[in-house]
Amino acid sequence: MKIIVAIKQVPERDAQVRVDAAAKWIEASDLQYALNESDAYALEEALQLKEKHGGEVIVVTAGPERVGQTIREALAKGADRGIHIDCDDLESRDALGVARLLAAAVKPENADLLLTGLQSEDLGQGQTGVILAELLGLPHASLILHVEKTDSGLTVKRELEEGWFQTIELPTPAVLTIQSGGNKLRYATLMGIKRAKTKEVRRATAAELAVDAAPVVLLERVSLPQKQKSTQILPGTPKEAAAALVEKLKFEVRVL
Amino acid sequence: MSGILVVQEAGRNRISFEALAAGRVLADLTGLPLETAAVGDPNSNVFVETSGPPPAAAYAVQHPLLESYTSDGYVLAFEQLIRKLEPSYIVFPHTYQSRDYVPRLATRFGQVLIGDITGIEPGPTFVRQLFQGKMNGSYRHQGDGPCFLSIQAGAFRADAPQPGTFTIQPFEPEIPASAIRTKPGAPFRGSAQTVDLGSAQLIVSVGRGIKDADNLPMVQNLATALGAELAASRPICDNGWLPMERQVGSSGQTVAPRLYLAIGISGAIQHLVGMKSSQCIVAINKDPDAPIFEVADYGIVGDLFEVVPALTEAVKAAKQ
Amino acid sequence: MLSLAATLAEPQHFSLAEKLLLIVLTAASAAAFWRRFGAVLDKIRQSKKDPGFHLFPLGRRVWDFFWEVLCQAKVIRQRPLPGLAHAFVFWGFCAFALVTLNHFASGIGVGFLSPSGPFGRFYFYLAAAFAFTCAAGIFGLFVRRFFIRPKWLGQKLSWESGFIALLIFVLMATYLAAFFVADASPATRILWWTHTLAILIFLPIIPHTKHLHLLLSPATVFLSRGGFSQIPPLVGDEDFGLVAGTDLTQLVSLQAYSCVECGRCTEHCPAANTGKLLNPKEIVLGVRAYLNDLGPASDQSLLGKYNAQEAVFQCTTCGACEFQCPVGIEHLPILIGLRRGAVNTGAWEDDYGAKLFLALERGSNALGISPSERDKFIQKQALALFDGTQEYCLWLGCMGGYDPKGREIVADFARVMNYLGTSYGVLRKEKCTGDPVRRLGNDLLFQQLAEANLEILAQSKVKKIVTICPHCVRTIQEDWKDYGTPPPIEHHSEFLARFADKLPKQITDETIVYHDPCYLGRYRNVFDEPRAVTALAGTVVEAPRNHERSFCCGAGGGLTFLGEETGERVSHVRAAELVATGATTVGTACPFCNSMFRDALAESGEAAPQLLDIAQLTARGLPKNEAV
Repeated sequence: MKIIVAIKQVPERDAQVRVDAAAKWIEASDLQYALNESDAYALEEALQLKEKHGGEVIVVTAGPERVGQTIREALAKGADRGIHIDCDDLESRDALGVARLLAAAVKPENADLLLTGLQSEDLGQGQTGVILAELLGLPHASLILHVEKTDSGLTVKRELEEGWFQTIELPTPAVLTIQSGGNKLRYATLMGIKRAKTKEVRRATAAELAVDAAPVVLLERVSLPQKQKSTQILPGTPKEAAAALVEKLKFEVRVL
Repeated sequence: MSGILVVQEAGRNRISFEALAAGRVLADLTGLPLETAAVGDPNSNVFVETSGPPPAAAYAVQHPLLESYTSDGYVLAFEQLIRKLEPSYIVFPHTYQSRDYVPRLATRFGQVLIGDITGIEPGPTFVRQLFQGKMNGSYRHQGDGPCFLSIQAGAFRADAPQPGTFTIQPFEPEIPASAIRTKPGAPFRGSAQTVDLGSAQLIVSVGRGIKDADNLPMVQNLATALGAELAASRPICDNGWLPMERQVGSSGQTVAPRLYLAIGISGAIQHLVGMKSSQCIVAINKDPDAPIFEVADYGIVGDLFEVVPALTEAVKAAKQ
Repeated sequence: MLSLAATLAEPQHFSLAEKLLLIVLTAASAAAFWRRFGAVLDKIRQSKKDPGFHLFPLGRRVWDFFWEVLCQAKVIRQRPLPGLAHAFVFWGFCAFALVTLNHFASGIGVGFLSPSGPFGRFYFYLAAAFAFTCAAGIFGLFVRRFFIRPKWLGQKLSWESGFIALLIFVLMATYLAAFFVADASPATRILWWTHTLAILIFLPIIPHTKHLHLLLSPATVFLSRGGFSQIPPLVGDEDFGLVAGTDLTQLVSLQAYSCVECGRCTEHCPAANTGKLLNPKEIVLGVRAYLNDLGPASDQSLLGKYNAQEAVFQCTTCGACEFQCPVGIEHLPILIGLRRGAVNTGAWEDDYGAKLFLALERGSNALGISPSERDKFIQKQALALFDGTQEYCLWLGCMGGYDPKGREIVADFARVMNYLGTSYGVLRKEKCTGDPVRRLGNDLLFQQLAEANLEILAQSKVKKIVTICPHCVRTIQEDWKDYGTPPPIEHHSEFLARFADKLPKQITDETIVYHDPCYLGRYRNVFDEPRAVTALAGTVVEAPRNHERSFCCGAGGGLTFLGEETGERVSHVRAAELVATGATTVGTACPFCNSMFRDALAESGEAAPQLLDIAQLTARGLPKNEAV
């Protein structure tokens, strides 16, 4: 099976994010980056399919020089080769723009399966994989926890709301967006990193891919939300405090 | 033609009506008329009821191939409806289903969905959360094409539902059988035997403060009233008061539910690492200095033997 | 009746036939000996060279040889009575070297020690004294092994040990008996040949049994790596630790063949003592069996048939085994080497282990908590940030920065430092020192953490570090050396002890049982300083197992992150021991020990002793108006 996994390098999950001077993005100067969490699960799913059925796992990512580190991590975990789409202005492209870059880079590969994580930890739109499927004209399924290869294509397990699941059958080639938690992630090993040194990373520039970059959706400004997390102690007698808590649960937390 | 089309999801009335409420906010901002559409029979529940003033028009999108949801089917159907109605804005509830097909639909129009919106401001500007809720981003749509939006659950308050009193027009799209490329199976529940705290949305967790196994039923009542799963810190499971699979913590499960209610739990690090990512943490403990209050969003300092029954009563009353 | 002759009786004359027989038998015995011993030496020589091994400076090696081999110091100190018995057997062997040489020489007519000459007389009597003590010693050890049967020697009776004991006894007895017969009597010849045969039978047996230690252990002690838990560097792109036979180094092979199976390592092992699979003696013997069966060129996995992966990951790296070994076996580099082989190649599949590694791959601390929590703590405690001008950098570590109890210890230590007027600051950013992943064998992650931290320290211009956690101290001072030059670091007990005279002495009738942390005691040899500090706050009481015998709390080796233990919980066993002393307070000097005992002591309910770190004990005595 030839599997392509689109991965994204995002600011470290627990990073303190501050608004930058122009209020258009976050202050990037002392950020640490890491592989997007659901992409790690997508990579894991791809590696497990390769271990079972043979084939090749290729990771593709778009971004500046620093995303090379994330490609190397993916190679260290077992991916066979990487494609780095050199792009310094990722933030100014919308989801369609990014998907167009990815589609142009992966189309010549004619993969059997394309996987992406469900959504990114920074923007969290959850659309790139689905748009990619549309651009490539391929069937897709999203929120996938488990993939099995069958004679006619794939059988996948999809997560639904409220603890329900669904099995879907679809032909290959196809695109799947992978939900976190479906597999146990493997840790990076010294052996993996050493082997990764000899694996190929092909570079493509955004210009080469000749993709329309004008965005239809623009992120104008970022700001801190009004309410910061601080502990609200609800006072009063047990009955009063309980009533106050129920108010909160109903209207703020919205679980009642 | 121009207007706001609110697409509703059958079987998910509450969030559909919240999307409708968002549509009304947008209608007020833009002065555009509001229409609704949904896949299903005109007699299905999403048309029988509505919330707030009736829409200018309502469309029941019907086709045999739409009986089971597939993204191919819904994309084709709504593409045709949108090309017919030419709305300026199309508003969806942000559900697993819309996340699955709306991005494809938007791409067909060269558009990008602005998804999981929590606010609509003059402009119009659309607000959504970034960095797992640590920041807000304000988005604007450019160009002449339709603008696709989806609304986060609970972001807009829906009016109380009432019987629908408008005409529903049927709309039958053309969907060739070959267009449907995926075969969905029937939904099924996860295994009922094993406790899957990892996927529980609401968790009530109990710690040493409970003092005795005999006091567990009191907490179980609260969990039942909330519709929550019961969990515990390590000592409770070590004592055999609850099975090991209900343990939350470094040597148990790691959970991230929407609500984690920690009762009589001090907040030792071994427990915290298992639940600190919960979206909302509520702590009930008689010690005001208990470390659990450092991570809690809401706290009640008091005797849990009084607070828990009071809370159970209050929850039951609220749910009526 | 027996009467003491003037001196040792020997046959005056050997016939040609006898001489020939002696030569033939000796040659045969030597050949049989060499056949096996040569093979063992080959296996050791063919093993990989030890990277980072330096023969010089010789000083430490010579001292260790003198103290541990010649004086038998560790053998006696850690098991006094049997140790002394063994020492006498050993000294007997040493004394007999000359005697035995002379014995064979005189058998072919070139004896050089005359029983009538002054030196000869003196020497033979000296040897007789040693023979007596040796015989008594070997007899005592025989009784211990076959009748008293301590469980550390194993369930199975070792007939080979019994036979060798018999041979040694016969050797001594035949020697001593020769003082009671006349030169010319036929008994002399019988005794002489019995003695000879005993030696010629013993010789080839040596390399086939654990008595190989007779020849190897002096070299093993001399050539040991030094330090404690000295983990060798990995070399090149194909070195992942101890994966297969080809990874076994000469030192490891030498050590594996030197094992005497005394079981001192197992006797003090917290895992072995709480019903777990791990048995340090069996780990070493597993390596030996591998070498015997497959040799050092084999690529079959070291884990599997010869040693269980499960056992290897039950080790807390407390070091009791390595500390106890009388023949110089360094267990920890072997255990950690085996872990490296499994982890660096991804062969170790463990949910908790993966969770720990993933948390550190993505984040800054082993607990997986957002670093903003550490920032909040620093703000709340109003701890000064290190700006390059202060004397000390106070390193918080994962426990000090994120664990509620660890934070209390840091807060109290800060109060004491304020009282003493010490200038210090905390770093804005710290990553985990990497101690748990280093001990679990994840070299990739450890390198990343060490290098990132060394960079932070260099940029912040840190000159000296003090910290509350012995694991941080060890890792920063020793393990980071593989990747750079860490600044000097000390543990807060060493710091406080220096100022003991400036700190208030508390008037109290509290008794405090001090628990030696493994990484402070055995690893760093710091026993007196924490006691001096504890003594300021009450009367120091010793647990039955104290100082270098301290019983681990169970958290080390990354185990505190690994979830459920099998068998009894190590922390509970030690806590029970501490509670049984009747002390009012348990004193700790490590936040991990503190964390492990907290849960265990809570089981004792209302009657549980207090649990306080030495920093908390010290802060308690400060005048009340000390601001943080």
